[in-house]
Amino acid sequence: MSISKKIALAAAATMLLAGSAFASDTQVALVPGGPHPYFTAWEQAGKDAAKDFGLAAADYKVPPKWELSAQNELLESLLTQGYNAFLIFPGDPVGSVSTANELTSAGAPVIALAGCLKDPSPAAFCLGTDTGHSAYLGTKELLKAMGGKKRIAHFTGFLVDPNTQLRIDAVEKAAKEEGAEVVQVIADIDAPEPAEEKINAYLAAHAGEVDGIITTAWVPAVVASNALRKIGDKRIKMVGIDHDEVVLKAIKDGYVDGTMLQNPYGQGYIGSFAADKLRTGCKVKADAPFKSNALTTKFIDSGTVFVDAAQVDTYVTAMQGITKDLFANFEKTYLDCAQ
Amino acid sequence: MSIDSHSATPTPASPSGGRVSGNPRFYLTNEFGLICLIVVFGLIFALLAKNFFSPFNLFALGRVAAVNVMIGFAMMVVIVTGGLNLAVGAIGVCGAMFCGFLIQVLGLPWPLAILLGLALGAGLGFINGFAVVRSGLHSFIITLATMSIFFGAMVFLTRAESFRGLPPIFSAFGTARLFGFVSPLLIVAALVGVLLSIMYRYTVVGREMLAAGAKPEAAALSGVPVGRTIILCHMLSGSLAALTALLVMARNGAAIPSMAGQLGQDWLLPAFLGPVLGGTLLSGGRASPLGTFLGAILVTMLTNGLLLLRVGEFWVQACLGVLLLFAVLVDKARRSYLAHLKVA
Repeated sequence: MSISKKIALAAAATMLLAGSAFASDTQVALVPGGPHPYFTAWEQAGKDAAKDFGLAAADYKVPPKWELSAQNELLESLLTQGYNAFLIFPGDPVGSVSTANELTSAGAPVIALAGCLKDPSPAAFCLGTDTGHSAYLGTKELLKAMGGKKRIAHFTGFLVDPNTQLRIDAVEKAAKEEGAEVVQVIADIDAPEPAEEKINAYLAAHAGEVDGIITTAWVPAVVASNALRKIGDKRIKMVGIDHDEVVLKAIKDGYVDGTMLQNPYGQGYIGSFAADKLRTGCKVKADAPFKSNALTTKFIDSGTVFVDAAQVDTYVTAMQGITKDLFANFEKTYLDCAQ
Repeated sequence: MSIDSHSATPTPASPSGGRVSGNPRFYLTNEFGLICLIVVFGLIFALLAKNFFSPFNLFALGRVAAVNVMIGFAMMVVIVTGGLNLAVGAIGVCGAMFCGFLIQVLGLPWPLAILLGLALGAGLGFINGFAVVRSGLHSFIITLATMSIFFGAMVFLTRAESFRGLPPIFSAFGTARLFGFVSPLLIVAALVGVLLSIMYRYTVVGREMLAAGAKPEAAALSGVPVGRTIILCHMLSGSLAALTALLVMARNGAAIPSMAGQLGQDWLLPAFLGPVLGGTLLSGGRASPLGTFLGAILVTMLTNGLLLLRVGEFWVQACLGVLLLFAVLVDKARRSYLAHLKVA
């Protein structure tokens, strides 16, 4: 064996040893408020983060139902099981603060993911979609597609979701700026049964009274896409949200004009990375350039992008680009790891 | 032990009254069966689940159990009359939100706010009871309607905004650990259970409640004011529901409209599980505060243990159902066997 090969082998062995020496004992739990398709991307994000950053675990754990008490029980159980860092979509922006306090007092950092805790809270920061901004941009895109017509309906998520009111306000603001009217807001329908019932009933009775539909929650976007396909009338313009196959296919087929993509994968991946860093000694920078929203002054936008028929086949690349950009400067921008 | 309209009044045939030790009938009761099941499952989880007996887990388990126990009590006191209170969650949230409003907005001292919150619970219970007695409709119908009315009014008046400007004593109480692992919430639940047992066993009003539930016509002929007693049961249920929500408020450090879910429906399952497992008869006339307490502890322990065993979160509900069915069947078999051996 040549000397150069021996040196290369030795270097590789050293790197492996160093790698295992630096392998983290951080066990991250990614906990949504309840079962919902939006969060499923967190599972793969956690797995990838555990592999890429050498974490002991980054597991996606779902409360069996959308109940604050069920989420609290799960979080307490996960702490008992040895999880020592938490990425949480708060079951309630105020009611979850107490549990977050208990987790952080046990030494486990908490990051609010996809939805924020209301300040003051022990969460290091909130990493999520700037939901208001996303809804605002989506409404602007819808109004652009609608041309001169100005009557829109807004289908959105649970009222207990801290993001819902932000979305309602943003849609209203964008519509007002363009001289449009939000003729109907239907909320609390981010589940198949109420969404099917209310959207179909509304369109059956009032389809002629609206020119555009904006949806700002996953399930209503899917149901409204299906409804427009069934009606077969492409007069009503629609901008959806997220990347469900039904919505993407409706965009391809021309029933839906576009969708506002969020970045759940990036949230889970970067959140797991940050949680590990915080647990192993990094601090949040005092002068980090956080944004503010109605709930917190420590908000980081995980990115959003509008995708129409022209980009629908390459949306994954678009989202990967957003994640890559955010991750590239994340530590430098938000964390102080100089110990 | 369960208390019915016969055992509540000490007679020569049952001189022991509330005594448990030395009474062989106790070994045939739901309560003894539940104690056995709690011990058995406790040992199983201790063997299989890491940290089941860790101080933090015992504390967390006790705190969740306390709320479930209290919800069970709030329902039990109405089941005793043969009725139901589906508005138990809605009333509870109204009481807690009212208390939060009085403290945060009006600046009232917290002890007074707590009393007024409990009073509101009793007042809403009075509306339920009065409507049941005067209309003659089953409490299922009445409380199904008032559940929506109470919750809707609360959301309208508060705009679904939380009250978090509570004195630190609330959070301190909700997160305190006595001896490192006992939640004060559990002590409150146990205390309420003891008071309910004393009421049913030793007070006139308690016996009247059992009598009115067992046979209303006979109770009326005996001079029991059945209508008034039913109203009283609903008022007690309302104040217990409000007390439960105040405990949840202490646990969360805030009064939040979603603490019992939409319309307070999240409380319905635990409201029935504890009393029914504990031996309270749905037809009325029999109450078991101890059984309700133990039933709620068992259900909470099973959920906690299954979560620690890392049974998939979605399987927890299914496994919980299977284990409960198994537990009830084993308990029934145990009682049949003991009865066969004429232990009693």
